[in-house]
Amino acid sequence: MNKELLIELFTEDIPARLHKKAIADAKELFARILSEYNADYETVNSFISPRRLSIRVTGLAEVTRPISEIKRGPKVEASEQALNGFLRSNNKTKDDLKERDGYYYLNIKNPGQEITSLLGDIIEDFITRMPWKKSMHWYLENEKTLSSYWIRPIRSIICIYNDKPVEIYIKSLGLFSGNTTYGHRFLSNKKITVNDFEDYENKLNENKVILDFEKKKSYIENELSQQSASMGLIVKSDKGLLNEVSGLVEYPFMYIGNIDEKFMSLPMEVLSTSMRVHQKYFTLTYPDSNIAPFFATVTNVPVTKTMKMGFDRVLRARLSDAMFFYKEDTDVTLEAYANRLSNVVFHEKLGSISQKIDRMMSIANSPEEHRVIALCKADLVSQMVGEFPELQGIMGSIYASVQGEVPEVCEAISDHYKPMGANDSLPKTFLGARISFFDKLDTLVGFLGVGIKPTGSKDPFALRRATVSIIRLVLDLPHNILEDEFTWYIDTLVTAYSDQGIALSSTVKDDVITFLKDRLTVYISEICSIDFELCNQIINNCDFSNSSLQNIKNEVTKADEITKTPSFEIIKGAYKRTSGIIGDFSPSSENCEYTGDNEYMKKLCEGLTNFDNSFENIVKISNLVLEACDSVLINNPDKIIKNKNFTLLKKYIDVVEQVFNPVLLNM
Amino acid sequence: MFSDNPGSAENNSRIDVEARQVKSFQDIMFGLQKYWSNYGCVIMQPYDTEVGAGTSHYVTTLKALGDDYWDVAFVQPCRRPKDGRYAENPNRTQYYFQYQVILKPAPVNPQELYLKSLEAIGFDLSEHEIRFVEDDWENPSLGAAGVGWEIWCDGMEITQYTYFQQVGGIQCSVPPVEITYGLERIATFIQNVETHFDINWNGRTDERKLTYGDVLKRFEREFSCYNFDVASVNILLSHFNDYEKECNKLLAHNLVMPAYEQCVKANHCFNLLDARGVISVTERAGYIARVRALAKACCSAWLKSLQEERNDNE
Repeated sequence: MNKELLIELFTEDIPARLHKKAIADAKELFARILSEYNADYETVNSFISPRRLSIRVTGLAEVTRPISEIKRGPKVEASEQALNGFLRSNNKTKDDLKERDGYYYLNIKNPGQEITSLLGDIIEDFITRMPWKKSMHWYLENEKTLSSYWIRPIRSIICIYNDKPVEIYIKSLGLFSGNTTYGHRFLSNKKITVNDFEDYENKLNENKVILDFEKKKSYIENELSQQSASMGLIVKSDKGLLNEVSGLVEYPFMYIGNIDEKFMSLPMEVLSTSMRVHQKYFTLTYPDSNIAPFFATVTNVPVTKTMKMGFDRVLRARLSDAMFFYKEDTDVTLEAYANRLSNVVFHEKLGSISQKIDRMMSIANSPEEHRVIALCKADLVSQMVGEFPELQGIMGSIYASVQGEVPEVCEAISDHYKPMGANDSLPKTFLGARISFFDKLDTLVGFLGVGIKPTGSKDPFALRRATVSIIRLVLDLPHNILEDEFTWYIDTLVTAYSDQGIALSSTVKDDVITFLKDRLTVYISEICSIDFELCNQIINNCDFSNSSLQNIKNEVTKADEITKTPSFEIIKGAYKRTSGIIGDFSPSSENCEYTGDNEYMKKLCEGLTNFDNSFENIVKISNLVLEACDSVLINNPDKIIKNKNFTLLKKYIDVVEQVFNPVLLNM
Repeated sequence: MFSDNPGSAENNSRIDVEARQVKSFQDIMFGLQKYWSNYGCVIMQPYDTEVGAGTSHYVTTLKALGDDYWDVAFVQPCRRPKDGRYAENPNRTQYYFQYQVILKPAPVNPQELYLKSLEAIGFDLSEHEIRFVEDDWENPSLGAAGVGWEIWCDGMEITQYTYFQQVGGIQCSVPPVEITYGLERIATFIQNVETHFDINWNGRTDERKLTYGDVLKRFEREFSCYNFDVASVNILLSHFNDYEKECNKLLAHNLVMPAYEQCVKANHCFNLLDARGVISVTERAGYIARVRALAKACCSAWLKSLQEERNDNE
C-alpha cells in the first residue's frame, strides 16, 4: 500500500501477560518518535502475537517536514561550556552564531529528509525506548557486544515502505531488516515473504498466526462459551486468564476435559484456583453456578488424544496435591494454626502476626469480633495458602466453617481483607468491615510510626491502598462502623504497640492523620469529581479530632456547590477587596452601629443589622459592600470617619467568615 | 478455519501411544548426552557434592562469568530435602535428576535446538503441545537471576529455560542460556506412565525390568526420614558454620574453586536445617543472605582471577 510502513520485530516468545500493554505502549511510542523526527503520518497501529511485535503506519510522508526556526542560545557573557553545548546539540559551529540583544541565536534550517534514510534511527530509538517491564540483553556474535534491551531475543526484522523492502542494518540487534517472517512455530514453520501489511496479515493467517490480539481473544471467548453451552455449561468469567491464554497461542484450539470425580469434594475456590494458577484452565459451572466436573483449556495446536491424556493427567497430579493440602489442613484446628503465627513476621520492626492480632484485639469490642480476630490470620500458615497465597481469607473462611464456627464469623474471616483498594468490593458483613478496619489501621499506624512511608511510585507495603480502604470502609458502607472517635482507635493502637515494647515515633498520630487527609483528598476529588485544590484546602483545614470523615466529606461537597454558584464570585470579590482595605484592623467595639452620614455606608449598616445567613442575602450585602467601596473614600484622611468605615467592613468580614470556610473566600 | 474441537479431535490421534517401543530412563539420558555432544558441548559429569540444581555446579555458576566460550551439558542428581514425601507422593521426591545444558554465549537458535533435542529423545512434536510460558528464574542463594520460560508439554512443566543475566550478583558480560530438563517428567511422557516410580529405568520388559521405584524408592524413604526427622540439628548447625568459615579462609588463599565448594556444602546444610523445620522465617532470610555472601565473594574472586590471568597474558 502506498506510503505504508510495516515493521515486524520477530522474537522468541513474548510473555503473555504483557501483550495487552505492549500493544498500547508500542503504538504510543512509535507515534511519538515519528513526531520527533517531524515525520507526518495518518495512523499508527501495533500488533502482537507470541513471537512478533509489528507496527503499521499509514500515510507516512516520503520526506520529513522541513524545519526553519531561529533558536535562542545562551547569553553572550555565558560560559564557553554552555555555548559549546548549545552548538553541539544543534550540530552547528561558532560561525553560524548570530548575536542580538545580548543573546546568541542560531538559524536552524532542516530541509526535510528522506524517510527511508531515517528508518534505521527510528527503529533503534523504538527498541531502546520501548518500556518493557523486565527486559534482557543477549550477546551479538557479529558485533562482539551485548544487544539492546528487549523482552526476549529478537531474531529477524521486517521493514517495508511503499511496498518495497528497506534493507537497514540495525546495529544494536546485529540484524539486517528484510521482507520475510515465519508462520506458526508448529503448524507452518516456514519462511514467508510479504509485500505490504495486507499481504502480511493474510499470509500470517494462512500460516496459522492471528495477528490481531482482540480478534483472537474474542474468537476464544465465543468458542469457549459455545462449546460449553452445548454441554449445558457456563464458563466462569476470568478476564485476566482470557488475556493470558490469548497471548500464549498463535492460533487457538480448544479442549474440554474432565475433572476426576474424586476431586469434586474440594471447595470450588480450591479447584478453580488450582486450575487457573497452575494450568491456565477455565472453570466451568452449571447454570446454578455450582462447579461442574469439567475444565476448558486453550491450546496452540489441534488437540490430539495424547495431549488430552496429558491435560487430564497433569490436572490429576495438581489436584492430588490440593487434596493432600486440604486434608492436612482440616486435620488441624484454626486455633492450632493461629498459635504458629508468633513465628510469622508481620514486619521486622513491627513484630509477628500474633502481635498484630493482639493489637487488633485492643480495639475490638464484642465476643464475635474477638473470635474473628483470633482466627482471621490462621490460614496464612495453612498448606493451601502456602501454595496459593491468593486464597488467604477464603481458606480461613472454609476451614472455619468445617470446624463449626457460626456463619457470621466464617464470612467475616474472608471479608476482613476487603476492600483491596479503591476498586474492590466492600465487605458484605458489618463484622467483617470492622475487622478489616482494625487490621488496616493497625498496619498504617505501625508503618508510619516506624517511619516507613510510600515515596513516589514506591509503596512496597501498599499503605496507600490500605488507607483508601480505610476511607471507603468509613464512608461508603450503609452503617457507621466506628463506635468511637476515629482518633480513639489511633491512640489505642499506639498504646498497644508501646505495651508490646514497639516504640513508635512521638508524631505518629499526626503522621497518620496527615497521611489519611492526603488520601482522603485524592479519593474525594476523584470520586466526587471535585477540584483537587479545593479538596486539599478544605481537608487540610479540618480539625480531624472533632470531625468525622463523613462530616469532612460533606464539608467538601458543600464547598464545591458554593464555589460553583456564579454569584459566589461577588461574595469573594467583596470579601477580598474589603480585607485588602482594612488589613488587620481590629475595631474598638463590637458595635456596628454606623453613626456617619454616608448613604452607602448607611445602607450597608442596615443590611448588616438585619442580617440572615441565606446565600442571597449575603450576595445582596456583598453588592452593597462593592458599591460602597466604589463610591466612598473608605480610607478617609479623617481618622474618625475611617474608623467608622473600617468597623463596619470588619463586621461584614466576620459575617462572611462565619458562613463560609475562609479557604473558599481566599481561593 | 479453526478446524479442531473436542468432538472431532477424538479422531486426530495419529499414533497409538501404547504401541510405542519402550524407551528407558537411561536411553533418555544417553539421547540427550549424544545430542548435545554432537552439538559440541563438553559432556561433563555431575558435581560430586550435594546440590539443589545443576545451576550450582561450578561449571554453571563460575563458568557463566567471564567472556570465554563455554558449552557444557551433563546429568545432575539434585537434592531438595524439603521436597521429600517419604516416597508416598508419586511425583514429588527429594532426589531427582536434571539434564543441564549451558551455552555461552547463547546462540541465535536455542529454542530450535531445544525442540530438536526433544525429537532426538523420542518426542513426536505433532502429538504434543509444547509451549513457552513466561517464568523469570531467580536463585537468591546464588545471587543469580535471568529471564526465560518454563516449557510445558501438554500442560506439564518439563524444562526450565533461562537467559542468565546475573550470577553471584554480577552482571554476565556474555549472557549464557541455561536449559534444564526435568528427566523424570520427560520420561513419564515418553513412557506414558503416571508416576515417577513407574518409570522403566533399564528398558527391559521382562522379569528383569527395573523401575525408578526399584532403584530409588528406599533411598527416597530413608532420606525423607533423615531430612525431616532424624538429622542432627546441632551437627548441621556446626557444619554450616564450619563450611562458612572454611570458604572465607580458602578465599583468603585465593583458592576459588575449593572455596565455592564449601559454599555449596553450606547451602545444602541450610536446606537440611530448613527441612528439619528448625529455621524460623526471620532466620531463614539470614541464612540465605549468608550463603549469598559466600557465593558473591566466590564469584567476585573468580572474575578477578580471570582478569588477572588476562592481564598476565597481555
